[in-house]
Amino acid sequence: MNRWARPARPWAPIAAGVLIIALWWLVAHNAGSGWVQVLGDLVFGALLIGIGGPFVVVSRARVGVRRAPADGSAGLPVAVDVESRSRVRVRPVDPPGPEVFVGPVGPSRAVDTTVTLVPLRRGVYGSVTFDIASAAPFALQWWTKRVQLALPAALHVSPRCGPAQRVPLRSEEGTGDLLDRPRSDEGLPRGARPYLPGDPRRLVHWPATAHAGHLMVQELEQPAADPVTITVELPAEAEAAERVAEGALGSVVRLLHDGRPVVLGTTEHSGPVLAAVADRRTAGRRLARAVAAAGAGSVPRPGAGP
Amino acid sequence: MSIVAAVRRANQPGVPEDSVRLRVACLGAVLVAMAACASLQEIAWATALLAMVLVSAGTIFSHITRAGPPGWVKIMVAVGALAACVFFFRAVSSPTGGITSIIDPLTVLLVAILVVHSFHVPSRRDLLFSLGASAGLMAVAAALAIDLRFGLFVVAWLACCFWGLTEMWTSVSGGGRLSVTGLVLALGAASTAAAAIFLVLPAPVVSSRVDFVAHAGAGGSVGVPGGLAGDSGVPTQLSRAGSPTGRTRVGGYLGFAASLNTALRGTLGNALVMQVRAQRPSYWVGETFDTWQGDSWSESQPVPRRPLRESSPFVLPISPGDAPFGQSDLQTFYIASATANLVFHAQSANELWFPAGKLYVDQDGTIVSPLGLGSGSIYTVDSQVSTATPAQLRADDSPVGLPAAVQSEEEQLPHPYPRVLALARSITAHDTTTYGKVESLIRWIGAHTHYSENIPPLPSGADTVDEFLFGNRVGFCEQISTSLAVMLRSLGIPAREAVGYVPGSFDPITDLYQVHANDAHAWVQVWFSGYGWEDFDPTAAVPAAPPSPGVTALDDVGSALGRIPGVPVVLAAVAVGLVVFFVRRLRARPATWAGRVARSAERAGRRAGRPRRPAETLADYADRLDELGGRVDPAWSRLAASVQASAYGGLDPPREAQRALALEAKRARVPRRAPAGSADASERPLVRR
Repeated sequence: MNRWARPARPWAPIAAGVLIIALWWLVAHNAGSGWVQVLGDLVFGALLIGIGGPFVVVSRARVGVRRAPADGSAGLPVAVDVESRSRVRVRPVDPPGPEVFVGPVGPSRAVDTTVTLVPLRRGVYGSVTFDIASAAPFALQWWTKRVQLALPAALHVSPRCGPAQRVPLRSEEGTGDLLDRPRSDEGLPRGARPYLPGDPRRLVHWPATAHAGHLMVQELEQPAADPVTITVELPAEAEAAERVAEGALGSVVRLLHDGRPVVLGTTEHSGPVLAAVADRRTAGRRLARAVAAAGAGSVPRPGAGP
Repeated sequence: MSIVAAVRRANQPGVPEDSVRLRVACLGAVLVAMAACASLQEIAWATALLAMVLVSAGTIFSHITRAGPPGWVKIMVAVGALAACVFFFRAVSSPTGGITSIIDPLTVLLVAILVVHSFHVPSRRDLLFSLGASAGLMAVAAALAIDLRFGLFVVAWLACCFWGLTEMWTSVSGGGRLSVTGLVLALGAASTAAAAIFLVLPAPVVSSRVDFVAHAGAGGSVGVPGGLAGDSGVPTQLSRAGSPTGRTRVGGYLGFAASLNTALRGTLGNALVMQVRAQRPSYWVGETFDTWQGDSWSESQPVPRRPLRESSPFVLPISPGDAPFGQSDLQTFYIASATANLVFHAQSANELWFPAGKLYVDQDGTIVSPLGLGSGSIYTVDSQVSTATPAQLRADDSPVGLPAAVQSEEEQLPHPYPRVLALARSITAHDTTTYGKVESLIRWIGAHTHYSENIPPLPSGADTVDEFLFGNRVGFCEQISTSLAVMLRSLGIPAREAVGYVPGSFDPITDLYQVHANDAHAWVQVWFSGYGWEDFDPTAAVPAAPPSPGVTALDDVGSALGRIPGVPVVLAAVAVGLVVFFVRRLRARPATWAGRVARSAERAGRRAGRPRRPAETLADYADRLDELGGRVDPAWSRLAASVQASAYGGLDPPREAQRALALEAKRARVPRRAPAGSADASERPLVRR
């Protein structure tokens, strides 16, 4: 991390500035005119501030993340609110994202601006890395500084939802008559209740909905069948681990969509974890935290692989 | 990246610039730069105005077509720029132009480029180019600026540039604007940096021959060939010898004529005579005198009538006594007010850039212009300045080496000066070299004489040197230098009197020496065989005479009063008076509507001859006023009741009503009171309706 601001491609403006001043000085000393030198000094002063001023602006810039979601998905944009007292250009580096200007438009107090991050891989982000830049006050030279900003809450980036894999179910193993039989793992309808976000569509009870005037779903008995247990073993190689995690998430989502309880087994920083997951978000978080079995004990960073 | 790719990348059109303010700022900078050039006569005002109109039109056209500039515009810009460059190089390389007159073609080149470029300024980068080109134009203008009025253009141009640059940041950052604090900090930092560089860098001096200006100014031909003129303040009026009764010379100085009367130092004044750009401060000599007549100096050989015919630059003939070696000193003289037609220069003039086809050059190096040198005249001299050190001069003991005729002139005395000779011998008894004798004499003069301009003229026929050395030993530069010259001549050392100007104050902004009338000076030139004529100024060693407080105070007051410009002072006084009047009126105005009603009542009563008595309440007073009016309409009582209700009952009427009441009171009138005597005038109405 660079503590100090760095000029962006500085040699061209510096060389041009020095050349202009040298020529100007030469003209002044050939003509002997004081006004030429006075003007040259003023131009030099303006160039100096134009080239060096942004260093001060960038060094003094105070940028912070005010709001950020707790969950995101690899490859999908995540909007975070960034606050700055001065107008600076922000380019997200880790996770990456498009550059955007943040800070007040006009001489006002600090304002929040939305910065979009596009994480490429799953992981848990406690902070984000930005390149902040400025060319104030004269837009003659850009200076850049890399800063690491803590997020208000950890950002869990789940893997992309890959294609679901076929998961063999214990009750169906080797029976040959699996599809026409009533599904024993769902239990029997016990009644109807109002729809809650996350309820499977297939449980919508249309007669009750028509009667109540709003969506109603069947409430079932506790599943009689055992939950499906998916154990994820991530390889050490980052890309391969990403693919495995994507496949695992796809399978979990599919099973959840089918109404099956799922128990997900992963290896996290603290060690192996085996716990039920009730929805996609929980599964995504678990997979975001997952590391390769051999990497347990290390911090899962997206750039370094799970 | 290959060169072709780099060129292509550099040639890619930039993002169209939508900021109108940025364009206006850049246009302002360009217009100010053109106006600056026109004000310094680098381009004609008509040309400048045409260019300004075209640039303005081009800027509007560029803004309208910024998203898709027509292809023909780029071709037009390229052809126009090419034509301007061809014109520039032809002008510079022509026999009549040359590199020494680069300023005018350069101005035309920059103006032409700015005009054609203004039609194709779609992006921010192009606007930055406009700012840069305007900076070049300002630099060209600054090269000829010689006074502080140019600062107005500098300030205006800088304001436009800073505005443009901050607008550039606004445009780049999608609306980011500097706060007032940030703007002040940025400008303060830029100014501080500029000031620091200004202080650190050495002052520019003329160090090459790129551009020397020569301008005739407000003068005319002098009627007599080789004649001296202009010392009376009129450029072409022939000069005449000054005398104690005829103080009509330039600034009161009597020396820029065929003779120098040493009986009187005129009242020189503080008028600016000329500004000089020089590589180093020098004694700028106008003429030298070799014949001493007891009370005045004159030239043994007048300025020849046959001129030196050449074209500028003139290569001047070497005079006897010119320094055989030394260093070059380039000086440009800007005449500010009409002065003598002497071409001032440092020591030995070698080359002269002068706005005339001929010159008259005396054998002692005095150069006389055929033109009167009025305000605005400019010329440049390249002089050879002696670099001899005191040690070298002290070691110079070679024979005199002057031609016999010249030597006899430079040792001439009108009569023997036995007392002067005895004094000089006693002072230089232990000196064997010329330099040692000169130094001893100067040291003695510095220790035993005093400087003062406030002395009465010497009596007619009195010998200046005798009066000065053996009288009260108080005098001015002509008397001090003459005494040294006569003492040196009595010792057989060739010496002559030189008159001219010493550098006045130095202006660090314009880098010009400001030479005023009271910088006119006289000093001594002493011959050294190995080095020629060397300047010695005995006056510099002479302390001022004890001042006379009364005379000095009166002089100071008189000169201070004389310097006060009348019209501005009167205008300022009138302005201050008006401001005071209106402020007092505003302050006297009652703050509340009730106060305004009371004041209106008192005013109306006064007009009617019934002023309010000290103990009279407003209600009573209003009643009396209504009685005066016959109580036809008891308006005053009604108004007073409203005021009382507001003041004591807390019943403030609405704001609109307050205004209406105050207005009614202002318009209400009371009939004028009849002459006293018939009855109690204060109680009885004089007009009954």
